[in-house]
Amino acid sequence: MTTIAQTGMKATNPLVPEPATVTEVIVETGNIRTVRMRFDDPATMEDFTFLPGQIGQLGILGAGESTFAISSPPSQKEYFQFSVMKTGVVTSAIHELSAGDCVSVRAPMGCAFPTDDWKGRNIIVAGGGIGMAPLRSLFMYLLDHRDDYGELMLVYGARMPEDLCFEADRLAWEQRDDMKFISTIDNVCSGWDGCVGLVPSILEEEAPPPDNAVAITCGPPIMIKFTLQSLDRMGFREEQIYTTLERRMKCGIGLCGRCNVGAKYVCTDGPVFSLADLRELPDEL
Amino acid sequence: MRFLAVEKIDALLEALARSSSLWVPTVTEDSAGTVIFEAWEPGTAPVLDRFTTLSAKELLLPASEKIFSFAYNLSEGEESIEIEPSSREGGTTIFGTRACDAKAITVLDALFLQAPGEAYGDEQYRSRRLDLTVLTIACTTCDAACFCSSFENGPAEKAGSDVFLYPVEGGWLAEAITDRGRELTGGEPFADSGLEPPGLAVTRTVDIAGLQEKLLEIFSNIDFWQEATVKCLSCGYCTYTCPTCYCFNIFDEMRSDREGERLRGWDACMFSLYTRETSGHNPRPTIAHRYRNRINHKFSYYPANQGETLCTGCGRCIRGCPVGLDIRDVLAGVKEL
Repeated sequence: MTTIAQTGMKATNPLVPEPATVTEVIVETGNIRTVRMRFDDPATMEDFTFLPGQIGQLGILGAGESTFAISSPPSQKEYFQFSVMKTGVVTSAIHELSAGDCVSVRAPMGCAFPTDDWKGRNIIVAGGGIGMAPLRSLFMYLLDHRDDYGELMLVYGARMPEDLCFEADRLAWEQRDDMKFISTIDNVCSGWDGCVGLVPSILEEEAPPPDNAVAITCGPPIMIKFTLQSLDRMGFREEQIYTTLERRMKCGIGLCGRCNVGAKYVCTDGPVFSLADLRELPDEL
Repeated sequence: MRFLAVEKIDALLEALARSSSLWVPTVTEDSAGTVIFEAWEPGTAPVLDRFTTLSAKELLLPASEKIFSFAYNLSEGEESIEIEPSSREGGTTIFGTRACDAKAITVLDALFLQAPGEAYGDEQYRSRRLDLTVLTIACTTCDAACFCSSFENGPAEKAGSDVFLYPVEGGWLAEAITDRGRELTGGEPFADSGLEPPGLAVTRTVDIAGLQEKLLEIFSNIDFWQEATVKCLSCGYCTYTCPTCYCFNIFDEMRSDREGERLRGWDACMFSLYTRETSGHNPRPTIAHRYRNRINHKFSYYPANQGETLCTGCGRCIRGCPVGLDIRDVLAGVKEL
């Protein structure tokens, strides 16, 4: 049974959003911006809780709303944020936002990463491109609860250095000695002295052992495909691998019909699924 | 049972219209000969001897409706937004629906009336549903497209009806199904009657037993679905006329520079844009994929999630399909695989 979070959503009608105001816009890459915001109603903001992996509907009244992963960690009480790639009507409108602008938000929705089940285990996170958005929230949560987990590893790849998001976070992660962070780009490029190679290859080179470990991946479909193959070669079983799915969504509450994979709705049963869960579903990704 | 004489029907409709918004099947100047549900007013002649082209689904899930209106306000240089959820008042009565369409309401209830805290229900549906009265005309005849006898109770299905009206000589025998039905039929213009209800229609049937599992077993057989849909135009007629199809879209419309509405409206799983993602990727890229999902939703996914088959055998998708695609042939084909 899906757990229903009413915070941030009108208890009377979950299709009616809460007004929020943009506090800051961060230009991440040429086509990705992070938008930070607060609910206008102080009580709503105070009560707003979520877990990494959960999603929300960010809207611009008049343009529409779309579904995005929350990319800030639950511990961040000053604001919450979405990291958005510019691709269509709504995301283009979101890219026009600046501090002080009004948006509409319905959040949180969907099921989070089962971080409680992962306590005591080693965690390997592999992200690519904008797929890093939910993983940022997750990884910061893991760092917030550092003592609950074993070894932490994060591999984050993008095509070019300028396609990597979350620069401030990357710099901070590189400084820490209680985790391993590797950022990588697809091809050699001047001005980049870091790691070069595709995320799956880097994972196999690093070869974190599968014993007592969990691997989480999110990124472009092609990256996920090869990452899953690599994890399989590395000895990870399907129950140890998690991802978060994307689907076209409208209502976000399991009613409007379109985001199903078999009998499961990505908006309410997901977006987080283990590979073992996915193997049970009809092949329609 | 109680009896409603044919000459008393206006008295009944007048009484029903006094306490709620009353809808009856009728033919209008705009309906091009089709029978549709319209708001009753004195003089409206209900058409009760023909099957309605559209069900009364839109009285619970309007083809398009406002979710809320919004306005951008500017005060001392600061922008704010105001959101005003839509509200409605007053009950609705549907007179003259058929058993398949009444049952369809309870099938939708299984999803849209889910209790808050367990899953999401639909508040706009709920507000209409909880104030709805349904008077159903029992089917003593059927046509070649009807297949409600495939389901447990067939034309005798009482779920969703408050009153079941059996056509008899000179009027209708009235069977009260719910307390609301007993209240309605207890007094005038209904009278006591010792008549026996007539026998009901027996439709063609299709064997739906085991489809929930079978459809999953044959999921990857896309060749079957391609062959089944070779003539399908993906026009969406079947979804719009289906009494149980409920998928919807959400979209914004501006009324001025600073004011607008967020609306929702019927969508159709047979349309490619229904699932096409902004990247261009479409998990259901062809008509075969979309039709497979439509059938699986009705006979496998919805039964698995909601415990109800998302079909009541009304036959509209067969009766009106422009290329004569017959869901019964497809289901029979699935069983044969």
